[in-house]
Amino acid sequence: MSAVLEVTGIKKTFGGITAVDGVSFDVREGEILGLIGPNGCGKSTLFNCILGQLTPTGGEVKLDGKVVTGLRPSELNKLGVSRTFQLLQVFPKLSVRENLILAGQEHQGNMASRLVGRSDAGLTDAANQMIGFFKLDHLAAEPAGGLSYGQQKLLDAAMAFMGGPRLVLLDEPAGGVNPTMLSDLKERLVAINREKNATFVVIEHNMEFVMSLCSRVMVMAEGKVLAMGRPDEVRKNSAVIEAYLGH
Amino acid sequence: MSNLFDLLVAGLATGAIYALVAVGFTLLWQTSQTINFAQGEFVMLPAFLMLAAMHVGAPFWLAIILGILLSMLLLGLAFKMLLVDPMMRHGVLPLAIATMALAIGIKEAVKQFFSAEASPFPSIVPTGDISILGHAVSLQSIGVLVLAILAVFGLTALLNRTSLGHQMQAAAQNPTVARIIGVPVERMILLTFLINAFLVALASLLITPIYLAKFSSGEVLGQAAFIAAIVGGFNQVRGAIAGGLLIGVLDNLAAAYVSTQYRAAVPMIFLIVVILFRPQGLLGRAEERTV
Repeated sequence: MSAVLEVTGIKKTFGGITAVDGVSFDVREGEILGLIGPNGCGKSTLFNCILGQLTPTGGEVKLDGKVVTGLRPSELNKLGVSRTFQLLQVFPKLSVRENLILAGQEHQGNMASRLVGRSDAGLTDAANQMIGFFKLDHLAAEPAGGLSYGQQKLLDAAMAFMGGPRLVLLDEPAGGVNPTMLSDLKERLVAINREKNATFVVIEHNMEFVMSLCSRVMVMAEGKVLAMGRPDEVRKNSAVIEAYLGH
Repeated sequence: MSNLFDLLVAGLATGAIYALVAVGFTLLWQTSQTINFAQGEFVMLPAFLMLAAMHVGAPFWLAIILGILLSMLLLGLAFKMLLVDPMMRHGVLPLAIATMALAIGIKEAVKQFFSAEASPFPSIVPTGDISILGHAVSLQSIGVLVLAILAVFGLTALLNRTSLGHQMQAAAQNPTVARIIGVPVERMILLTFLINAFLVALASLLITPIYLAKFSSGEVLGQAAFIAAIVGGFNQVRGAIAGGLLIGVLDNLAAAYVSTQYRAAVPMIFLIVVILFRPQGLLGRAEERTV
C-alpha cells in the first residue's frame, strides 16, 4: 500500500515554545489513522501545519509523493485534502443543503457565471446524496445554525466529504456528540472510508471511538511521537500509559 | 391635517429609501464588522457628484450614471482600501471613530467646495399626482417606492438565490472556513462595499429631489438608517428593510400628528424602547459575538 500522506520531521515553534518537535509518520491509502495524546501535546498544531493553516518551522509534507509544504488551505483543498474542526464551523444562516453545496463548489471561476444559476444540478445531487448518507434529510432546508450540536458535527463531517476528497483530517469529530449519534457517526465514517476509498486521520479523545474506528493509532506527547501501532499494541505500551496517567 | 392614506404612502416612500441605506449599513457590518457612521454622508454626496456632472454639461441621465460609478469608486473601493483596511487592523472601534471623522470631512468638503445652500435636484420619476381610490397620491412617492423595492428585491435575490450570494454569505458568516473551501473572501468583502456604494447612490438619487441637496442632510439620513438597522435587527437584511419602512412611516406620522419639531424625536424614542425590550431588534436573532 502506498502512502497518501508522508510527514517528515515537522517542527513548529511559537516564540520559545516548541509545540511540534520533529514529527514523522505516513498515512497509507485507505486507512484510518488515529491521533491521540494528552491536551496540549501538539495534535491540532500538527494538523494545522499539514493543512497549511500554519507554516511549519521545519520539515516536509508530501501528498501522493509531491511536496505540498506551505501550500495554502484552499490550494490543498483543491488537491483533495479537507478537514473538520474541533469547534463547530458551519455557515449558520445558510441551509444544510446550501452549506454542502458551498463546500463542494469550485470557487475560482469568474464572477459572472456565478450570478446566473443557483448552482449546477450535479452539485445539488451530490449534496442531496450526502444529506441522505448522513441521515439529515428532514433538516436539509433548515438553517445550519438551528441544528443541535451533534447534528452540526454530522454536517461538518458531511461538508468535509463533499467533492470526494482523497484525505480527510478530522479534529475531534466525536467531541460533545451523544452516544447514539456517535455510533451513527462511526458507522458513516467507516462506510465512506470503504465505499469512497477515502483516507482519514482522526484526532480524538474518546478512546473507545478511536480504538474501534482506527486501523493504526499514533500517540503524541510533548510535541513528539510517543508510539505508533495497532490499537491493541498502543493500549499496552508502557510509555503511553505513563504519558496519560503521569509518573 | 393631511389624510392618513397620503401620509402612509409618503412614509413608505421615505422608509423604502431608509431601508436601502440601512441594508447597505448592515451588509458592511456583516461582512467586515465595519460600522459606517458616515453612511448618511454617503447618501448626501452622490447627489452632489451628479450635480457637478450636470454643471459641466452632462445631461441628467449621464450625470446619474457618472454619479453612481464615481460613488462606487470613492465610497466603495477607495473607502475600503484607504480607510477601512488600514483602520481595521486597530480594531472595530477605531474604525467606527474613523468613519465619524470621514463623515465630518465629507460634510465640510461639500460645504467648502460646493455650496452651503440647499440646491434643487431633478426628480428621476415624474412629479404630479395620480388618483388612487379617490386619493390624490404623489407619483414621486409611488415611483420612489417601486424603485427602492425593486433594488431591495434584486439584492435579496442576489444574496439568497445565486451561488455568488451564497459565497458572500459564507464569507460573512465564517470567513475561516470560507477561505479553506476556496471562497475568495477578500473579493466578496470588496463586493459588499461596492454594493453599499451603489445602494447609497440610488438612495441619494431618490431622496434628494424630496429633501434638496444639502451638505448637512446626511446627519438626518444616517441617523434614520442607523435606527432602522438597529430596530429591524442588525444582523438581518430583512430586518433592515422592515426597520426602514417602519421608521419612514413613523417619521411622517409623527410630523403630522405630533409636531414637526418633534418628528426626529419619535424614531429616537422608538429606538430606545426597542433597545430596552428587544435588544436584538424586531426581526433579529440574538447572537453572541466577541468584539
